[in-house]
Amino acid sequence: MTPPPALDPALLTPLQREAQEPAMTRPSLSYWADAWRQLRANRQAMASLMLILMLVVFSTLGPVIWNVDPSSQDLDQVGIAPGADRSVTLWQPYRPWSGPSDSLQYSADTLHQLTLATSANTQAVRLAWVQQQDASAYRVYRNLYPVSEVGSLGLPLATLKTDSFEDRLDLSPTRYYYSIVGLNSEGQEVGTPSTIAVEVRRVITVENARARGLLGQDEAAEIGDRINLALHPLGTDYLGRDMLARLMHGGRVSLFIGLFAPLGFMLLGIVYGSVAGFIGGNVDQLLMRFADFVVALPFLLFMILLKVLFGIGPGESGIWPMLLAMVILLWPAPARLVRGQILQLREQGYVDASRLLGTPTAYLIGRHMLPNTLGVILVTLTFQVPGAIFTEAFLSFIGMGVAPPTPSWGAMCNEGIKSMLTRPHEILFPALLISATVLAFNLLGDGLRDALDARMRGSDSA
Amino acid sequence: MWKYTFKRIVLGLVTIWFIATATFFAMHSVPGDPLSSDKATSERIRANLEAKYGLDQPLLSQYFIYLGNLAKGDLGISFTQENRSVNDIIREHFPISATLGILALAFAALGGILWGALTALYRNRWPDTVIMLLVILGISAPSFVVAAFSQYGIVNLNMWAGTNILPVGGWGSVGHMLIPAAVLGLSTMAYLTRLMRSSMLEVVNTDYVRTATAKGLPPALIFTRHQLRNAMLPVITVLGPAIAGITTGGFVVEIVFAIPGLGRFFVEAVQQLDYTVIMGTTVFYGAFLVGMVILVDIVYGVIDPRVRVDQ
Amino acid sequence: MSSSPLLSVRDLRVDFAAHGGRVQAVRGVSLDVHRGQTLAIVGESGCGKSVTVQSLMGLIPTPPGRIHGGSATLMGHDLLASKMIDGQDIRGRLVSMIFQDPMSSLNPTMNIGDQIAETLQVHKGLSHADAFRRAIELLDMSKIPEAGRRAKQYPFEFSGGMLQRAMIAMSIACEPAILIADEPTTALDVTIQAQILDLLKELQAETGMAIVLITHDLGVVARMADRVLVMYAGEIVEQGSVDDIFYRSAHPYTLGLRRAMPSNDPQMSQSLLAIEGSPPDLFDPPKGCGYHPRCEHAMQACLESPPAYGLDPGHSSRCWLHHEQTSQRPDALYFQSSQGADHDPLG
Repeated sequence: MTPPPALDPALLTPLQREAQEPAMTRPSLSYWADAWRQLRANRQAMASLMLILMLVVFSTLGPVIWNVDPSSQDLDQVGIAPGADRSVTLWQPYRPWSGPSDSLQYSADTLHQLTLATSANTQAVRLAWVQQQDASAYRVYRNLYPVSEVGSLGLPLATLKTDSFEDRLDLSPTRYYYSIVGLNSEGQEVGTPSTIAVEVRRVITVENARARGLLGQDEAAEIGDRINLALHPLGTDYLGRDMLARLMHGGRVSLFIGLFAPLGFMLLGIVYGSVAGFIGGNVDQLLMRFADFVVALPFLLFMILLKVLFGIGPGESGIWPMLLAMVILLWPAPARLVRGQILQLREQGYVDASRLLGTPTAYLIGRHMLPNTLGVILVTLTFQVPGAIFTEAFLSFIGMGVAPPTPSWGAMCNEGIKSMLTRPHEILFPALLISATVLAFNLLGDGLRDALDARMRGSDSA
Repeated sequence: MWKYTFKRIVLGLVTIWFIATATFFAMHSVPGDPLSSDKATSERIRANLEAKYGLDQPLLSQYFIYLGNLAKGDLGISFTQENRSVNDIIREHFPISATLGILALAFAALGGILWGALTALYRNRWPDTVIMLLVILGISAPSFVVAAFSQYGIVNLNMWAGTNILPVGGWGSVGHMLIPAAVLGLSTMAYLTRLMRSSMLEVVNTDYVRTATAKGLPPALIFTRHQLRNAMLPVITVLGPAIAGITTGGFVVEIVFAIPGLGRFFVEAVQQLDYTVIMGTTVFYGAFLVGMVILVDIVYGVIDPRVRVDQ
Repeated sequence: MSSSPLLSVRDLRVDFAAHGGRVQAVRGVSLDVHRGQTLAIVGESGCGKSVTVQSLMGLIPTPPGRIHGGSATLMGHDLLASKMIDGQDIRGRLVSMIFQDPMSSLNPTMNIGDQIAETLQVHKGLSHADAFRRAIELLDMSKIPEAGRRAKQYPFEFSGGMLQRAMIAMSIACEPAILIADEPTTALDVTIQAQILDLLKELQAETGMAIVLITHDLGVVARMADRVLVMYAGEIVEQGSVDDIFYRSAHPYTLGLRRAMPSNDPQMSQSLLAIEGSPPDLFDPPKGCGYHPRCEHAMQACLESPPAYGLDPGHSSRCWLHHEQTSQRPDALYFQSSQGADHDPLG
């Protein structure tokens, strides 16, 4: 063995200690401060929290800024997509039409027998055609899509004997395909149909434009001038109602139910569960058995009953019965949870210790029991919000939720699904908002759970 | 085990009685008493109803008549459809809902266990991240939205292919079942995946898995015998609520895909305020769910010896 | 020791990723385990004793754990290199382990017999029936009454002591050369503790296996051990025979441990003395000797890591007080009479 190295004698003098013990390297934090630190470090959860705040602002302050009545119909713009052209041409008032004037000339060699008599606009589309020898009558069709060889001609508008037709049926500013077919004396279609494409222009009378505030009362206006219709940033629904306003007002319903229903049944459940857990014994057994029964009760039936009990008729909103039904039927789950927690806490050493020191029950509950269940309750509450929003949407979807015309996101989805193929924006926006809200609450709940879970908290210092 | 099963069944019967009672009195507490009112559409139905429910008798006797009918398995007759009993309606439409539900549940449970175990094994690596992202999206989209958009997808698929690869709605062939069952099971699967993942992560860190490793068992054996089996226990406990969720979720899917199941029929009855059908179907659904919960409990008992042996 | 060791560990280093850095749990541990010997590793909680043996068994979760230095050889197998491939042949067969908490260390959904049998099925290729029969014999050997009936029961039907017996039965199933017992009696009642220790001793006498005993209880050490390693802050501070440690403590920490233990030794003071301060946070271990912040004899030199000073054959201490130039010679500590006469086998 090599002899031990010689040491500088100075090193063998007693150690000069620093004034104090070396402090613990990591600062200790209180439970909630630490939970908040962890939550803040969770980017997903913080983004979700921001999103939730934005949604709340959207539906509370939104209607103040975007002050549009969610139930007023803009019949000039029904079911338009966001960003659609909203220009409109000023036009003279409608005058009846009795067919093309004689001065109109048809060239005999026109490929299309069917002709547009005047310019086509949303007041009317006027069609004229050359009489056929073998036809005793004609049928006029209108289609939104090009008429193919095999495809149908579209909506039959009229069967008539004249050689002209005026279409005033629910015209939109778009391209229509009109066809006529001759009919023989038995009413059967004969010969090949003749089809033209017609571009329909949106028009409005000066009087109407003034009435709707699109033109100032004193503003000069000429026929043929182009002005803009009311703005609908997210388009309109199938009744011409502003989507943005409906989404804002609908958010009030959805978020109100989503936040307050869980708050209500959680509170009831906390009281019920802590009473059961605290008293224990037979009372506890009895209370919990009752909770088991309530869980088994069918939810829909009680929704209907409360709707009838509250006398909710058409035009009245069903928010309160829905809220009440959820509170009445959904409290057992949090009650079980809280009872379990209380039973567990009662066995904890520090509770026993505190009890032995003569702590009053109220203090015991307030100081030891509640703070230690609060985390679990908070996390559960966060996770109940998506459930409540889904329930509202589901009930509105099957027509058992808020009554029209009150908008809610679920009800809007229900209306939008019918015209999904032609106007996807009507279901897309409410569906996106529901999903975003639920997603935000789920992610926030995840973050809260991670931040509050004591076992998780210990794990990074193992 | 037998004692445990017997106890659960007795408790289940009491629960069904409670549901039936609550349903009966709730229906009769509605102002104007829907059963005795003039809402019944025809004279003959009214006459039938009166005979069936003893509407001219006091409430308590009516209750006992109702319970007696229930005990015989007679759920009553329709309010709006002449000569049609609730039993007939259930017999005709429930098998369809049940088929759809079983498919959806199988899809959800197998998928949930598989994805959950997979994400736990690949914790914080890309398969975990991708699957958990899909899961959180699956949980966040309401079932009717998923149903609507998947139907939209089928329409486009058929248009692209030029033929009908999958039917857009209706019922009959396997093709009719696939997409609706997947849509119906989707959110449950997402939920079970999350549950299975966290349960699996907990099990992976338990002492008994450490023991199994220390014993020198091969990883596959540790996974199947010691991890999967224990991690599945919480998944089984939530199968009861999952079945309830799939049952109500089925209402929406049946409506969107035009499937003639009991759920769609129930929603129609609700919209038409066909009270007897609502009552009968409600009690039936209640009893069905109670039965399912008991079944799940028994299955749980088979898997977890702690439940099986004590009590 | 003349025979070559069964297990030989040199300069083992393990750390864990933690919030904002790495916790250095084991900082250069070397040890030898010989056939039939009981080696005790003693220290406070968090000193790295459990991590040391768990990393040898491949039980450290990686990440966050990491073995970043050293070597370990078990009967010719490189434990650290072949952890994943050969590990299954070694774990449970050549070396097995029992844990602190028997209640949570057994699978709650499998009966006891099956849990023992599966080891035999995997390592010895026995059929399930044979393995189960053998499991009952092993339970019987571990003094579990009515072993045949008990084998079909589940962990929740056992008491803690009975479960630890079952764990022992499981661990000796394949007649391992080394049994690692990680605080085997900490979770048990005192009366049960003694029974379990006696059982271990008895089985050791029967099978000739070596035992590595991890404990913080010097009473258990005195009862069981042949050789003792004292660990502090991830390092071995003193090692020697059980007599060396108890009668010739050469490290201030060992002395501190002994003073904290009830004793009827007239040489020791009557009242129990706690060691002032708390163990260091291995997130940022003290410079030099890990014990110096709590040591009453600390010198400037202690800011450097001390070498291991060999005192007697097999007895060494890592403390600057044993340097020949040191003038401080506290009475309670043991010092070698003639300097440099022996060498420390582990250097």
